[in-house]
Amino acid sequence: MRLILAVLSVIFMVAGSASAQINKLAFEQYTLDNGLHVILHQDKTTPIVAVSVMYHVGSKNENPERTGFAHFFEHLMFEGSANMERGEFDKHVQNAGGDLNANTTFDRTYYYEMLPSNQLALGLWLESERMMHAKVDEKGIETQREVVKEERRQRIDNQPYGSILEETFKRAYQVHPYKWPVIGSMAHLAAAEEADYKQFYADFYVPNNAVLSIAGDIDITEAKTLINKYFGPIPKSPKPVYRPRVVEPNLASEIRDTIFDNIQLPAVIQAYRIPAQGTKDYYAVDMVSRILSNGESSRLYKSLVDEQQKALFVGNFPLALEDPGISLSFGITNMGVSVEELEKAMDAEVEKVQKELISEKEFEKLRNQIETEFVTNNGRVAGIAESLATYHMFFGDANLINTEIDRYLAVTREDIMSAAKRYLVKNNRVVLYYMPKSQESKS
Amino acid sequence: MHHMKYIVLLAVIIMASCAPKVVNQTTTDATATTSDFRSMAPKPGPARPIEIGDASQFTLANGLKVIVIENHKLPRVSYQLTIDRDPILEKEKAGLASIAGELLGTGAAGKTKAELDEAVDYIGATLNTSANGGFATSLTKHTDKILSLFSDVILKPTFPEAEFEKIKTQTMSGLQANKDDPNAISQNVSSALTYGTAHPYGEITNEITVANVTLDDTKEFYKAAFKPGNAYLVIVGDITPDAAKAKAEKYFGGWASGTTPKYVYGFPKTADNTSVAFIDKSGAVQSVINVTYPISIKPGDSDEIAARVMNTILGSGFSGRLFKNLREDKAYTYGAYSTFNSDKLVGSFSATASVRNEVTDSAIVEFLHEINKLKNEPVTQTELDLAKSYIAGAFARSLESPETVARFALNTNMYGLPADYYETYLQRLQAISIDDVSRVAKKFINPSRARIVVVGNKDEVFSKIASFDKEDGKVQLYDIYANPRKDESETPINITGQEVIDKYLMAIGGRDKINAVKSIDQTYNMELMGMAITARMVQSNGMFYMNMTAPGMSLMKQVYNGEKGIMEQMGSRTPIEGSDLESMKDQAVAFNERNYSNAGYVLEVKGIEDVNGTPAYKVLVTKPNGSKSTEFYDKSTFLKLKEIQVAEAAGQTMTTTNDYGDYKLIDGIMVPHTVTISGPMPTPMVMKAAEIKINKDVDAALFKI
Repeated sequence: MRLILAVLSVIFMVAGSASAQINKLAFEQYTLDNGLHVILHQDKTTPIVAVSVMYHVGSKNENPERTGFAHFFEHLMFEGSANMERGEFDKHVQNAGGDLNANTTFDRTYYYEMLPSNQLALGLWLESERMMHAKVDEKGIETQREVVKEERRQRIDNQPYGSILEETFKRAYQVHPYKWPVIGSMAHLAAAEEADYKQFYADFYVPNNAVLSIAGDIDITEAKTLINKYFGPIPKSPKPVYRPRVVEPNLASEIRDTIFDNIQLPAVIQAYRIPAQGTKDYYAVDMVSRILSNGESSRLYKSLVDEQQKALFVGNFPLALEDPGISLSFGITNMGVSVEELEKAMDAEVEKVQKELISEKEFEKLRNQIETEFVTNNGRVAGIAESLATYHMFFGDANLINTEIDRYLAVTREDIMSAAKRYLVKNNRVVLYYMPKSQESKS
Repeated sequence: MHHMKYIVLLAVIIMASCAPKVVNQTTTDATATTSDFRSMAPKPGPARPIEIGDASQFTLANGLKVIVIENHKLPRVSYQLTIDRDPILEKEKAGLASIAGELLGTGAAGKTKAELDEAVDYIGATLNTSANGGFATSLTKHTDKILSLFSDVILKPTFPEAEFEKIKTQTMSGLQANKDDPNAISQNVSSALTYGTAHPYGEITNEITVANVTLDDTKEFYKAAFKPGNAYLVIVGDITPDAAKAKAEKYFGGWASGTTPKYVYGFPKTADNTSVAFIDKSGAVQSVINVTYPISIKPGDSDEIAARVMNTILGSGFSGRLFKNLREDKAYTYGAYSTFNSDKLVGSFSATASVRNEVTDSAIVEFLHEINKLKNEPVTQTELDLAKSYIAGAFARSLESPETVARFALNTNMYGLPADYYETYLQRLQAISIDDVSRVAKKFINPSRARIVVVGNKDEVFSKIASFDKEDGKVQLYDIYANPRKDESETPINITGQEVIDKYLMAIGGRDKINAVKSIDQTYNMELMGMAITARMVQSNGMFYMNMTAPGMSLMKQVYNGEKGIMEQMGSRTPIEGSDLESMKDQAVAFNERNYSNAGYVLEVKGIEDVNGTPAYKVLVTKPNGSKSTEFYDKSTFLKLKEIQVAEAAGQTMTTTNDYGDYKLIDGIMVPHTVTISGPMPTPMVMKAAEIKINKDVDAALFKI
């Protein structure tokens, strides 16, 4: 569940909070000499603290011949360090009554510990050990290879509709590294040697590629002293961190395909290429998506699920990514409804957004929903720590935690219409039909 | 529906990132080798005391108990209504409570679902209802608006018929989607076997039980179950107790008083010895293993904390023995965990993992090894300390959320816990000893009572797991709804397709009698989407007539006059041509099986399969025109039980399944009196024979085109 929440916030990119109604969230930030960026937020309500490090490395930084490394590292990075045996990382946290986890996306890898606030030093020690001299042995690599294979089976192969993102992204991108899945190729992981792993660690797990974000019951002065003690001595990397500068050309025309999967109900996927997160057009596209599928009165839901009953579920979700991403419409057919029929109905709703300016009332609803979301999102220190890191790393402005809502509120009704016209069009999308395997031979 | 939506959403979302976590075992006492501050974990500073926030409580005149947790950190308030009622046994209407609960939110106080949705979304609020109450939340400034809506759906629901049908249809589709979800299958079958179908926790909702639910049933359910005398309204957030009291009075004070009925259920029968249950999921790449049994422990039981410590050592999180063994040591799985649930009625123990096919048996060995070890050997002091820290830490962290304080207050009320139960929780936790853990392990860990439920690929897994069954050394097969199935795959087949058909013809009356049938005129009644529908089908001398009518209108008519065919639907008439005409020609022949011995028919016995608990020969019939049907004949009576046809329509394949039952004699011929058609419509159509006439006069005008 923690993972899912984290991922949700990453995907929807609204994990900030700000509103006319609540106090601005205060934080301090600075950069150590070695390039490590530090963000501190104090909240003494509960005696807990979230200690997190976000590394600016995701699957898109990988060598195309060694895909899956970023995620595999997320597993390896719990294996211990020069001062910690295999298996102790977790035990230290649990002994302290804490909790920990990590997750990986196309763009970054995120580690965090939730600790009682008197254990701040422990969190800093653990994360600095991980950054300074994480230890990777053969036993760890071998075990985690198998574990990742099981993870793939459980999440993708054995999961109805589990391969949707993988199948979509490999068609939506021809040259950009988003074309391979975060979990990567099992063959690449098997082929990798210890030297490959060492190199990846040296390239990306460096202070000048990371944000240390701490939120909770801390004394700011004491925290700074401890941070300096644990992270100050870690050297920065001698060369710049590799960042792919690949520009994916526009799709020449609509791409269509059919996937046969272990499912009962056919599904329609429409993936539109959209601008990168943080751009003006991204916010407009995000608003289009909310019109289509935020709440039961949203257009796709109301029309296709409630009124026409063509879909069991339908929604549109923009995936906010550092480079231009996609906005994914996903509909599962109701029984007895063909995929063609559902797709037509989905298209009709998109067309309406393109042709008719949304009403003042619907626009107001949208803004009210966004306000509620922003107010609600900063209820927990764990979420605050992650949002601050994300806003700094990808937007260069941690204060967006207070102000990103203004970017949404700046979007006009006309902007929404023109974004729909520009991005939610046929020659900018991949359409997949997911069909039950039982029908494979027939088609 | 909400549930389904959420699952799908997660399925999409979860893939964007991959997962976390590694961790493992092997402890060497890494004592410091240098004086460097890095060589050892830093010591903690002085701990701040844990404080549980205060809850205010009061009861309205109608009996509604209100709990208020004041917290002004964010400008929002949430309202959780929980009805503390005894669960009902739904039997042939399983799914009723959940449908009724959802229906409440779809029409109230003169507002349609669309109007309610619009009103809630307009203020950016959330509102939903369930079988046990409802939940609403909004920004503080919209308090009156959301409470007014919440009160309407709880106190003045209107049960719109159209919404009822929609929810049923969506429930059916959800069930359909779950048929391929190995975890959903595992949960269903595990609960049915653990609690038994005579217990509310063991009931499984399926297409038939959902079809049985009527609108009146939902109204009856609401009348009995939604009573303030058993309800708690928990208000959390940016509101003072005084204001909360005024709002509760205003919006829920008018709820007519009353309490819900009491029901008592016996403790479910456990397995006499470890038994293995298997559900086939063809093509699966992993097996979902669940080792489970019911336990008798209520919330607040004096052993509950010790049992929680025990379960934490076995299977909580990344440091549990199961995780360390099955994932970090053996790499059989992405995660292995156990749960230990206390419950007012009956608790449960469960240990689960998804493992790749080839290690399914090895994984079960490790599960049993860890479970037995826990029962028979004391845990170590290190494990005990670690588990206590883990639980205490989670307890402390959970207090960040004001909802936790609300939950504590609610539990204290609902389970009759001592007033200081949560305040003294950490103290009692610290007092747990190794002996306490041993004692509860002996009491609650019972592998010999467990069922090992495996959902997986029968071809690859089934034969390897029989040795774990200590009842009879055999694995019991079940379908996805926990009906026992016979494993017929090993039975040798020494019968030809033609012999099966001959025996079928013999069983229904003999070839002579069938050959003498010139016409058969059948009328069936059924209910579809709340409408009473009559279907009449006449086959006479190679002609065919079918008419489906609802009161006052013809829904669909098909006629074949021996040469041409037509279909009339909603007043428009279309000719039937090509392969559709060919299949109509087939339909025109009564008891067409008598012609299967003719040239051009190919019959193949494909094996013995279970049809709703009855073993049946599966015969693939290829007709002279190339069309195929798969037919199932009872292995002992040879009556036809089922027929599956796959047809192409509008570029999509459509599977139609007919189930036949309730055979009765008409003029010396056995004719099924219940025909269930599934596939073409969202809900299965259960057709009951009203009148069946053989070789009676048939009006020739019926077949006129």
